[in-house]
Amino acid sequence: MTVLSVSEVSKTYGATRALRGVSLDLAPGEVLGLIGANGAGKSTLIKVLSGATRASSGSVRLAGRPFEPSGPLDAQAAGVQTVHQNIDDGVVPGMTVAENLTLDGFGRGGSGWFVTRGRIRERARPVAADAGLLADLDAPVESLSPSGRQRVVIARALSRAPKVLILDEPTSTLSAAEADALLPRVRELAGDGVAVLYVSHRLSEIEALCDRVVVLRDGRARRTFTAPVDRHAVVAAMLGDLVPDTSTTGKAVDTSESVLTASGVTARPGGAPFDLRVRPGEILGVTGLVGSGKTELLEQFFGARPLLSGTLTLGGAPYRPKDPGAAIKAGVALVAEERAARAVVPGWSLRAHVSLPRLGAHTVAGVLSRRAERSSAEEVVRLLAVRTSGVEAAIETLSGGNQQKVVVGRWLTGSPRLLLLDEPFRGVDVGARADLGRVLRGRADGLAVLVASSDPEEVLELADRILVLHEGSLAGELRAADATAERLTGLMAGTPAREPS
Amino acid sequence: MSAAGRAGDAANRYGLLVVLAGLLLTFSLVRPAFATYGNALIVLQSVAVVGVVALGVTVSMTTGGFDLSAGACVGTVVMVTALAMVRYNLTGASAVVAGLLAGLLVAGVNVLLTVVARVPDLVATLGTMFLFQGLALIVTSGQSVAAGMTVDGAPAPGRYTEGFAWLGGGTIASVPVPVVVFALLAVAVHVLLGHTRWGRALYAIGGNAEAARLAGIRVARYRALGYVISGLCAALGGILLSARLGRGDVGAGDPYLLQSVAAALIGFAVLGTNRPNALGTVVGALFIGVVINGMTMLNAPYYAQTFVQGALLVGSLVMSFGLARGGREGRTSR
Repeated sequence: MTVLSVSEVSKTYGATRALRGVSLDLAPGEVLGLIGANGAGKSTLIKVLSGATRASSGSVRLAGRPFEPSGPLDAQAAGVQTVHQNIDDGVVPGMTVAENLTLDGFGRGGSGWFVTRGRIRERARPVAADAGLLADLDAPVESLSPSGRQRVVIARALSRAPKVLILDEPTSTLSAAEADALLPRVRELAGDGVAVLYVSHRLSEIEALCDRVVVLRDGRARRTFTAPVDRHAVVAAMLGDLVPDTSTTGKAVDTSESVLTASGVTARPGGAPFDLRVRPGEILGVTGLVGSGKTELLEQFFGARPLLSGTLTLGGAPYRPKDPGAAIKAGVALVAEERAARAVVPGWSLRAHVSLPRLGAHTVAGVLSRRAERSSAEEVVRLLAVRTSGVEAAIETLSGGNQQKVVVGRWLTGSPRLLLLDEPFRGVDVGARADLGRVLRGRADGLAVLVASSDPEEVLELADRILVLHEGSLAGELRAADATAERLTGLMAGTPAREPS
Repeated sequence: MSAAGRAGDAANRYGLLVVLAGLLLTFSLVRPAFATYGNALIVLQSVAVVGVVALGVTVSMTTGGFDLSAGACVGTVVMVTALAMVRYNLTGASAVVAGLLAGLLVAGVNVLLTVVARVPDLVATLGTMFLFQGLALIVTSGQSVAAGMTVDGAPAPGRYTEGFAWLGGGTIASVPVPVVVFALLAVAVHVLLGHTRWGRALYAIGGNAEAARLAGIRVARYRALGYVISGLCAALGGILLSARLGRGDVGAGDPYLLQSVAAALIGFAVLGTNRPNALGTVVGALFIGVVINGMTMLNAPYYAQTFVQGALLVGSLVMSFGLARGGREGRTSR
């Protein structure tokens, strides 16, 4: 028996094909896991099912009838409830637990003009009881812990008697103990006959909870596993076939000295401290699943967030940048992930983007020199073969790959000692990726590069040596020549020889 | 680009300048006295203080801030300079220094609230506005400050010095001093914002603060700089106003907030820049001055002036925000 049936659903945004003919079935009482790397299409599928967007083609049937919600409210009315990743989008701060539980009533007719505490409490009580919520109904919702707030959101979702409950990364903002407490709750819900679609990056949860797991990659449902799930196979399906590119391993690396030495650093709170070295001319890859602490590690090296523990030395001298400005002065550069949000200034030209991190170097007697700016920008265009109508073109007129070339290239013109790249190839086409790789590998000035990516293929393509992070701790270190698909996926999944409970 | 897109783009770039030229032409034809050198100086003199304050507000807007306390700062500085000379019998130069210090004090409160306590800019500067409007009333016991006023039963010892009054009423080669100050400040702000690394950093913060931070720009420092410049410009405006009035009137600074904010916002629509800029602010201030002067010559009632200024502001906001969207899409599709 099937309550939700998705068949051949595709979704395209402009030229991007986010979903390419995904099919899956969900039965009442079942917990179906949905897993995939960034950009695999999980969010798009959730948006289609929750009514936030419409599929471009394909069909969805709910309890035998066509399901084409016109919006989130319509999807809810039809019986599909979605609990989104960010809990605080689901509660209204400043209101009590009871008020939050009965929010739905306010928006609809028939609830009368006046709301009193008593009436709200009266209506909230059965909602809380049905969901097994023990919180004080008169407490302000912000006084609850994250998991308490999440229970309020889930209780409200359940009060609408859902046929299908979608939980989008429900544990991403919870502590480990809170997450452990959530899982039996989800099992109970399924026991009551609700079909649960459980989306998570955390393999251990998927393994412990789900009856079946669907793996998405590049917008397609690649494989479906039935419990008990083989972690290793799941990760392999998520990441695809890994073909190590042996052309990267020939580069000579001076092993006697190091550019950056980190000792006792921690990727994220709760992770175990570890040491790390990047040598002149070396490209060090850091990989791991989402949430393994890659971004946090790189941002600590750049002074964009405080150093959690340990000490750093840069070129032999102690290094502890208090902010990105200090890091840049010391010769460290960071290309952050999420280019649009963290590197692009809307409406600015390519030229202005190139000079921004080093305005001082483009100044003559206190006044910015357009000529100096332009020559730097032209150097970037030449170096990385940026396709643009000219250096004065607005950055938005460039393709994603060419924008990325600009934000990487602007650091190279300043000859840094250490270049930190965080997910540098996301939303970047194959050609631009090859150009960037060629330039980074071809540097002969001893530039050390630290490249972080959750796609091991990208790291294998570029790096001389690879570190694997797993949940904030160092899971292993491999030379590119020894790195195989098997070993990388095993380390990323945290499985090799030490099976966590 | 479509014909409609092109038309929108042109309206976005030149619309305001065309309207201004049209107004100048109309007023000149209807009232020949409008198009004289003397009247031009009157218009310039009337917008000089607004323009000086507006240039400061413009700088505060570049980082995405918004200085609502500019008008209160003008009022405070008028009172401080008047008190300095009339009640404490200080020299004109000391009064100028006291006025600038008062401007720095207002800026300091804004910086504390927005940068240190992280209160949103609009409400923080609104709070500062109230504080200093109130403070100006307290230090003068709600009275205007003028020569010959009684202080504790005795007449006040001092009066406005001649040198200080020259700042408001004097001329340099027949051009009123406030107009000269306005022009020099406009050039200075134009160079700062358009041609120095500091201006580029200010705009970067307004465009994408996170991108600016990761490019090594010390965001808090520049946001503070924006308010300091705004406070100093408002103080300069207050000094010029005080010199012209020759007395410290309660509430003298009140009209300057709306007019200077309007001038800066109208400036967004000049040449399709869609961001705060010195040239645009000058045009915005002139626009307001021309409209008021022309209306007065046409014997329009004075009480209609606020409404016309409001219509002007709304029109140019539509021009810079509404039409800009069409224009930008047109550009990227090329």
